[in-house]
Amino acid sequence: MKYGMVIDLTKCSRCHACVAACRVEHFLPLRVTWVKLIAYETEDAGVVDVSTFPVRCNQCKEAPCVDVCPTGATQQRPDGIVQIEAKKCIGCRYCVIACPYQNRTFLSKELDPGYFPGHPKTRFEEKGKKLYPHQRGTTMKCNFCMERIDYGTAHNLKPGIDRDATPACVNTCQARALTFGDLDDPRSNVSKLIRERKPLQLQRELGTDPSVYYIDGIIGGKDNKAPIESQTGSHIQHLSSVEARAKEIFPELKQGK
Amino acid sequence: MPERKVVYSTCKSCHGGCGVKVTVEDGVPVHIEGNPDTLTRGTMCSKGLSSIQHIDSPYRLKYPMKRVGAKKEGKWQRISWDEALDTIAAKVKESQEKYGKESISISQGTGRGYNRYIHRLARSLGTANVISPGYVCHSPRLGLYGLVTGYGRLYCDYHGWGGEFPKTQIMWAKQLEISSADSEMCNWFIQSLDHCKNLIIIDPRASAYATRATLWLQPRPGSDCALAMGMMNVIVNEGLWDKEFVENWTYGFEELKERINEWTPEKTEEVTWVPKEKIIAAARMFAIDTPGCIQVGSSLERQANCGHTLRAITCLMGMAGNIERPGSMVSWVLPETGLIEDFFLELPLTPEMQSKIIGIDKFKMGAARTCNPDTMVKAILDGKAPVHVWISIGGQQIVHMANTKEVVAAIEKMDFMVHVDLFMGPMAQASDMVLPSAHWLELDDVYDMHPRFFIAAHNKVVEPPGEAKSDAWIFNEIGKRTAPEHWFKDEKECLDYQVRKGMAGKMKWKDFSKNLVSGCWGKDQVYYKYKTDYWRKGGGFPTATGKFEFVSKRLAELGYDPLPVYREPGESPYRTPELYKEYPLIMSSGFRQPFYFLGQYRNIPWLRSFMEYPMAQMHPETAAKYGVADGDWIWIESPRGKIRQKCRTFPGILRGMLMATANWFYPEEGPEGYHGVFISNPNVLTSNDHLDPMYGSPDLTCLLCKVWKCTEDELQDNVFKTQEFGYVQRTVEK
Repeated sequence: MKYGMVIDLTKCSRCHACVAACRVEHFLPLRVTWVKLIAYETEDAGVVDVSTFPVRCNQCKEAPCVDVCPTGATQQRPDGIVQIEAKKCIGCRYCVIACPYQNRTFLSKELDPGYFPGHPKTRFEEKGKKLYPHQRGTTMKCNFCMERIDYGTAHNLKPGIDRDATPACVNTCQARALTFGDLDDPRSNVSKLIRERKPLQLQRELGTDPSVYYIDGIIGGKDNKAPIESQTGSHIQHLSSVEARAKEIFPELKQGK
Repeated sequence: MPERKVVYSTCKSCHGGCGVKVTVEDGVPVHIEGNPDTLTRGTMCSKGLSSIQHIDSPYRLKYPMKRVGAKKEGKWQRISWDEALDTIAAKVKESQEKYGKESISISQGTGRGYNRYIHRLARSLGTANVISPGYVCHSPRLGLYGLVTGYGRLYCDYHGWGGEFPKTQIMWAKQLEISSADSEMCNWFIQSLDHCKNLIIIDPRASAYATRATLWLQPRPGSDCALAMGMMNVIVNEGLWDKEFVENWTYGFEELKERINEWTPEKTEEVTWVPKEKIIAAARMFAIDTPGCIQVGSSLERQANCGHTLRAITCLMGMAGNIERPGSMVSWVLPETGLIEDFFLELPLTPEMQSKIIGIDKFKMGAARTCNPDTMVKAILDGKAPVHVWISIGGQQIVHMANTKEVVAAIEKMDFMVHVDLFMGPMAQASDMVLPSAHWLELDDVYDMHPRFFIAAHNKVVEPPGEAKSDAWIFNEIGKRTAPEHWFKDEKECLDYQVRKGMAGKMKWKDFSKNLVSGCWGKDQVYYKYKTDYWRKGGGFPTATGKFEFVSKRLAELGYDPLPVYREPGESPYRTPELYKEYPLIMSSGFRQPFYFLGQYRNIPWLRSFMEYPMAQMHPETAAKYGVADGDWIWIESPRGKIRQKCRTFPGILRGMLMATANWFYPEEGPEGYHGVFISNPNVLTSNDHLDPMYGSPDLTCLLCKVWKCTEDELQDNVFKTQEFGYVQRTVEK
């Protein structure tokens, strides 16, 4: 079991929804982001490439941050997720320097002035103190929404398939550019994409073996016939009176749904 | 134990429409995500998600207030709702008696569900001087689609309900993947790309999708009509038009052929700056790989030739037979709840009201149901406008209308103005009274989407702060005091009335609220309506000729060219070559960001964090030519004035042009400059003198400008006074 993510740069519209979903999910302080977009725009011989990369902690299989942590606060779970135990973190920031992707943030006072500086904390921030507390003076980063994964697996849900067991950024992506799942399971969606699409890992040469993969390609070239579930519209609206009718027209849906 | 509940609603952070699931703990929303059981499949964008921060802003308006100082002084006094509403009613009555019914003007921002209320209020008050931003967003396309096909609401079929997805998609001056001007169509568009053969992007600026598309055309801003004519020329000359459709269901093809004869690929290349090979390839794809559809963006409607541009594009759709086929342009069958606009259409627009519309003498299409805002501004300044009382909701006319200086001068002349909003902003500071409105998480209302095949429920998730009220409540209360015969006992009755046609006439708001939607899709939708008795017995379109009209007699009657015709923008290298020598850059204010919606959200820290200051994009070579570098603050000047934005060099943009970020004011700046509306807003530069003959739309996305670098001193001077506001840290900026 090794969780991983595949990010399809063909589909990603660079809308920043993943960043916002992450902030909501983890009650992130004002100036902290665990997910960000990094612009990489080039023009080579008249060919323009707009390759803004959405980045987050790569949950490296050979994670340098784990190696340098003097207290064992940064650990790798058996499922591959690199997590930080705030209680053990002494704020030495070795890991911040060790991470070649700059995906770790040391939570200082300056980064946490409250959502509206000079005003009392908002209701949402107050709730966050209890529901998802952050410890100033420690290091933080994306954890693949491990709370969701742990909740999901405890309730027999499948990460990457069932929403309640899947990272918030994956759920909110309108472009469905993010795919999450078990890299060790050859039948998982992530494994399939990795096999079929020649993925890229960021700075692979460093030997960190990131669990976040990028694929790219061109849009189009597809067949435009609509699959049956698109024709009925039944998959999109459970309240629709249409669904009952659709099932009469397409008996195969009766078994499927 | 804290008490937890889950509330389902519908987002309205843009035009809205995405299903929302909010977790509330002891009355406080602690989590927000998409509702997976809706059309948008559980997805949400950054704007909608950040609502959870938005509603808690300490800057929210909480009580009705009246201005006690001069305008721009920012001195306000809390008053009761009764005093506010009674004052409005008295002012309205006084003005009606003194100056006539047309002296009341009601304005709105972009469509946010309050359209129905403002139009109903206007009509119940006997005025049609409604100021709507429709003339620069969406109305022209509806009007022109309507002229050609008889039915205006023609939308891309991204759904596959008819068995086919669009094989060729054209995204014209539009990034539907990040901006949902046609509501949550964003979501469906992206899904439909999984079934698309060709994606053609027409945009002077690269997007992630443009660089990955089958074909990417970069036209000179303002030349889009010529591009459409050129594409039609290719289709005609190569005999690629849909013979069956054109022969049986269209009118005036021969005349159109003659008109587009001059638009050879060579000439089109010269005018549009798009290489002819690309024009030919795009035309072939669209005509051969059918079905196909064209999603146009409102940038086309912010040009003073928008009427003919959209007419040409509609003709292009028809020529390729991309009308009413599955996977093409389709007008949707309404849900059982009917047409939501009936809420105001049931009050007729009388010839008397219509004759008093400001601008109707000039703009016969655009000023037929609402006034032409630019003409109104000029008329107020000339002392000739009949308008004396202005009721404004949501929109920032000061920000979005052309020529800010004149707009501000006109608004300051109003006898009485009231503004309804969530925050203080430019329009509020120009008003005599502000009313606090509820955020969409704090109200019950009906969401109506542009394509009109479903309506959805906004359900109240939390209580609004202070005495903020929903739009329905505010307008119903104003209505009750000014035209009681047309309004309702309370908000609930008003909502019941809007959904009454559902459930075979038995639907109440509470049923609708629980159901979340009333829609018509899947096999309930009907294609090829013109081949049935749907519009007219024996088949045909609901037009005068019963055909799809390449030639429009109606337009000729109104005094316009019945065929599409290209006209250069008011300022361009070819129309004003002398001006071009002094202002050598083509400017567009078409730069939109996915995390802002028009003038909104610069005061939401999470969203402001994505772009703290307005960016103006230029090609690195163009920037170097004028001595500016990436990250520099630059002056951008047109004959109307100058503004400052930050230069962002970007290799994906047409050389010789500048793309400025639109609608930018600084909520953190003080009231003395209308919240910094003159600092960076491109409309300080745009002109309201050259308007589209049909719609009265100004050239907001095609004008001329020049640029140079700001000096250090200039940045200290009279701007950026606030030290800290949400995400923005002044210490970083010197």
